[in-house]
Amino acid sequence: MKMPVGILAAALRLPSNHRSAEDLFREETVPFSSEVAARLGIKEVPIRNGESGSDMAVEAAREALKLAGVEPAQVDVIVEYSILPQEYLVPVWNMSNKVQGDIGATKSFVVGFSGGGATNFLVALNSAAALLQENDALKTAVLVTADITIPGNRVLNPHYPITVLGDSASAVVLQRGATASTILGTELWSDGTNHDICYIPGGSLVHPDNADLYRLELDQQRYDAFPRKDVLHKLSHSLLGRMNLSLNDVSTVIYSNISSEDQDLCQQVFEGKMSPVCASNLTTHGHLQGTDFVANYLSLIANGGTKKGDYVLMASHGMGALAGTSLLQC
Amino acid sequence: MNTNIGIHAANYYLPPQKKALADIFRDEEMPSEPLAAAVDFKKDIGIEAVHVAGQETAASLAINAAKNVIQSSGIDPLEIDLIIDFTSIPEDYVAPTWSAAGLVQREVGAKRAFATAINTGGCASYQTTLKVACSLMSANEHYKTALLIAGDKTPEFNHNYYPITVVSDGGSAVILKKDVEKRRILGVEVATLGKLHDIWVIPGIHNRKPEDIGGKYPRWLHVCGDIARFNKELIPMNLFMFRKVMQGVLKQVGKKMADVSYFIYPTFSAWDLKAFQEAFNVPKEKVFLDGLHHGHLQETDMVLDYVDAIDAGRIKDGDLVMLTTNGAGFSWGATLVQH
Repeated sequence: MKMPVGILAAALRLPSNHRSAEDLFREETVPFSSEVAARLGIKEVPIRNGESGSDMAVEAAREALKLAGVEPAQVDVIVEYSILPQEYLVPVWNMSNKVQGDIGATKSFVVGFSGGGATNFLVALNSAAALLQENDALKTAVLVTADITIPGNRVLNPHYPITVLGDSASAVVLQRGATASTILGTELWSDGTNHDICYIPGGSLVHPDNADLYRLELDQQRYDAFPRKDVLHKLSHSLLGRMNLSLNDVSTVIYSNISSEDQDLCQQVFEGKMSPVCASNLTTHGHLQGTDFVANYLSLIANGGTKKGDYVLMASHGMGALAGTSLLQC
Repeated sequence: MNTNIGIHAANYYLPPQKKALADIFRDEEMPSEPLAAAVDFKKDIGIEAVHVAGQETAASLAINAAKNVIQSSGIDPLEIDLIIDFTSIPEDYVAPTWSAAGLVQREVGAKRAFATAINTGGCASYQTTLKVACSLMSANEHYKTALLIAGDKTPEFNHNYYPITVVSDGGSAVILKKDVEKRRILGVEVATLGKLHDIWVIPGIHNRKPEDIGGKYPRWLHVCGDIARFNKELIPMNLFMFRKVMQGVLKQVGKKMADVSYFIYPTFSAWDLKAFQEAFNVPKEKVFLDGLHHGHLQETDMVLDYVDAIDAGRIKDGDLVMLTTNGAGFSWGATLVQH
């Protein structure tokens, strides 16, 4: 029987500087109203004040390792799940290499994943668990990210705001043989027709020198048309079915923090099982890509929202491009 | 790890247009920093021309390669459970927000799959991707077929990767399957040196001002190598790291260097191939040298040279094949495939 892989510790690094959603809308000349405020449910977001994303990621990784009681030299693999553009262009450069060097994970190798919005965290979780489970020489992994929003691009889809983006970094330590927060499985599915539903057209090979296009864009028509409820329902039931479980067995659902409107949809799919911490973190952090899961997981643990043996389901529609669900047992 | 996962099929696509090296050297900047090796970069490189994509997009190179491998293998795209893009240079749109994996999924009709991209390892991204893909397939019973794809289109006037190589445009694709008897992937070893992360980079658009272009940096999207650090910090470690990953994968599977029948090594340059052969005592008949005529194809070297070596009859049934390379990050990887 394969040894379980579980979460030993996690850490969140948020800049101390915060800006209100209303201020950011004004700055980006997007109309703000009580209807928009209620639909988004975001009051403020953390914004960096000079610190680099990679330095925040290094701090998060160090803190997570300290909490886990793991020396950096024991880390076997570092897995990155960043989604927003980095200090150098990916995939020539990857922040995970810098994290490896800075924390002193001398025996580690690194791997990073692209695409899928917040679901990229579940891709990283699934892949890291597989690496630890299937390779005798690998026992401990650090998952890490830093997502820093493009200046002036915090309100996604200004014509009909979908979310407000904050800055953050986070890290998670996984270990084979962990006895709590074990990862039981993950289900992922992409809709290739939506590969460019959320993307940055400028600064790429297609538009190399048009800095005006260097903004995260969302195709709202396709985003609205994507059957988020059906896909999340299908994936979660498929995953639970593989474990001979049903939604009745799940104690709590952790979801990404895109908007109140989106979280209402999650409540419908999961019969009201989304943890209240998701709505709370949405209010104070906005959307932090894959870090949403780390922030919500940490809040859930801190609030005593789980007990030993509980099943926790994590779910994300990945903006319509890559949907996923993962099941943890506390 | 399940060692019954193997390379069911592999293929590549090269754009038909070619550009002579003499023209590349005429059109592109040539740094003045000296080479670590005692060679003439222009004369001794061993590459005469490279493929250029022209109007073709980076993703279209990967799509063509994917269609080639699906057609040659005869699989139904609906069998594909997992698509991983392992391209190592900038693509059509900005990463890590976007990768070509979803677009390839759409174009080949792999409607059941999940699509992602591995964005680490540079030219060694193939090894990292094999390690992750094999682990995912081994750990998850329902992942039976994976499609790995890459498509590299170098920005115009950025083919000269002095002091390493001159790069070509192209795409590659590999299908992995479970329960195969031939071309089994016995093991993969990957190592990275994180302190060298910023020797070979493209500054992010966050870090560039329009006034830097043409001054501090040659053009948007162009790679910038720190050649002084390359010579001082990377070169002294390179063969040590190659030895580490090759010995590592041999140890994983209980084999010795003498058991390896054939080597696939990247086509950076004639002198680099020679240095590898000399360092590891590999006779020329045991390493694929013909790939130099395409130029260096980033991570696709590993696939193209492997496919061409099989087609040329250099790799036979029963052979133990070592695929090894290095790449930006910096990364080193070695894979053993049992034919």
